[in-house]
Amino acid sequence: MNGAIGGDLLLNCTDMSVLERQRAHLKYFNPSFDSPLAGFFADSSMINGGEMDGFLATAGLNLPMIYGETTVEVDPRMSIPLETTLGTGNFKKRKFDTVTKDCNEKKKMMNREEVTEGEEEEKSKITELNNGSPKSIKKMKIKAKKEENNCSNDSSKVTKELEKTDYIHVRARRGQATDSHSIAERVRREKISERMKFLQDLVPGCDKITGKAGMLDEIINYVQSLQRQIEFLSMKLAVVNPRPDFDMDDIFAKEVVSTPMTVVPSPEMVHSGYSHEMVNSGYSNEMVNSGYVHFNPMQQVETSSDPLSCFNNGQAPSMWDSHVQNLYGSLGV
Amino acid sequence: MASADKLINTYVPEKDVFALHFLQSLSNLRTQNPLNSPDKSIDRVRKIKKAAYVSMARAAGGTSRLWSRALLRRAAKDDNKSVRFSRRKRKVTWKISSKRKRSNQRAPVVEEAAERLRNLVPGGGGMETSKLMEETAHYIKCLSMQVKVMQCLVDGLSPK
Repeated sequence: MNGAIGGDLLLNCTDMSVLERQRAHLKYFNPSFDSPLAGFFADSSMINGGEMDGFLATAGLNLPMIYGETTVEVDPRMSIPLETTLGTGNFKKRKFDTVTKDCNEKKKMMNREEVTEGEEEEKSKITELNNGSPKSIKKMKIKAKKEENNCSNDSSKVTKELEKTDYIHVRARRGQATDSHSIAERVRREKISERMKFLQDLVPGCDKITGKAGMLDEIINYVQSLQRQIEFLSMKLAVVNPRPDFDMDDIFAKEVVSTPMTVVPSPEMVHSGYSHEMVNSGYSNEMVNSGYVHFNPMQQVETSSDPLSCFNNGQAPSMWDSHVQNLYGSLGV
Repeated sequence: MASADKLINTYVPEKDVFALHFLQSLSNLRTQNPLNSPDKSIDRVRKIKKAAYVSMARAAGGTSRLWSRALLRRAAKDDNKSVRFSRRKRKVTWKISSKRKRSNQRAPVVEEAAERLRNLVPGGGGMETSKLMEETAHYIKCLSMQVKVMQCLVDGLSPK
């Protein structure tokens, strides 16, 4: 924030903080915030107690009028620094709430009222604001929130902002701690529970279990079981692998040349176009050579003498040609 | 949850990709020990298992996921090789230390389970709990995919 706001301009105006607040609200509710003035006025009704209604409602026309306006309760010069600071608005709140928009409309109808907040408070708020730290913004907004009427109380239910920038600005709920730590903590907890829900969908059989602890245990068990399965299957594969004493080249040639005579024709195998002369040893290289990198659901394994049709998922072999070429190349040794 | 999917990127490639990588690694294994005397079965198992994990990590996204990166690095270290990492989009943040210092209110239940999870998921040691859960989700998906592939293989190869 620029410290461009002249001290003297700020000091006497009790509405300053409210205006700043409104600016924050404005940024909060109007993502496409171009004209400081436009939003400025739209947001006038955000603050309850109608402190600023008068000022902004009348000044909703244009700036010069504010200058000339003598009946306005607030120092018209206030508008200038606000305008400058509005332009710099480094507020990153973007959330759009239609409920509060309606409230804005309603509040614009309300009469002006006196500003009630104490000056000291204002000053501190202002300086906080000028520093532009997200925490002060939160606090400020929280204070503003507490002053709002029913209509905007609905908006207080909403707590989370869309994360579009580096900061996540969160509005504290009514009656909850507004300590920045606890807010961050709550955000984090919500993140975690959201991810837990996601994991719940992923892990089978987790719908019945409620509670984080049980869920997490279940997840851990699942991961462990998957890892064990991999180990088990790799053991099986090691067993299934043949003795490495057959002639690779021979098999290579046989596979490329021979036609699928011995094979039970199935649609997938026709697609593959390679022979299935499967030596019993069934080493993985053969699978590679014969281009059986198509994968199939398990059911089809029994139907053919080609044990590798299980990999066939009916895709056109052309997709694998380049891969297969490479593999051929590597095995051409 | 459809909405969660948008926030958490858990895209896992098709089975074919995993299969291809796995077969490639197996064929590499083969060429490494062409006609030597067969290894002891334990070694063979270990090699195949390692090939399975490495191929899974590669298929799942190479160095673009934390767990796969950690897995590959671990594997490369064992073989005294080096892994080439693509440049990461985000710099490593120091979130961990600062966050942990600040607040003592981490739910102990969750954290204790997270510790166990960290031991299971590769690369989990340096992650915040929320990030850990993202990685776990992706890891689970990839693991199940790899299991399917290997199951297919075994069934295909086992004698009738």
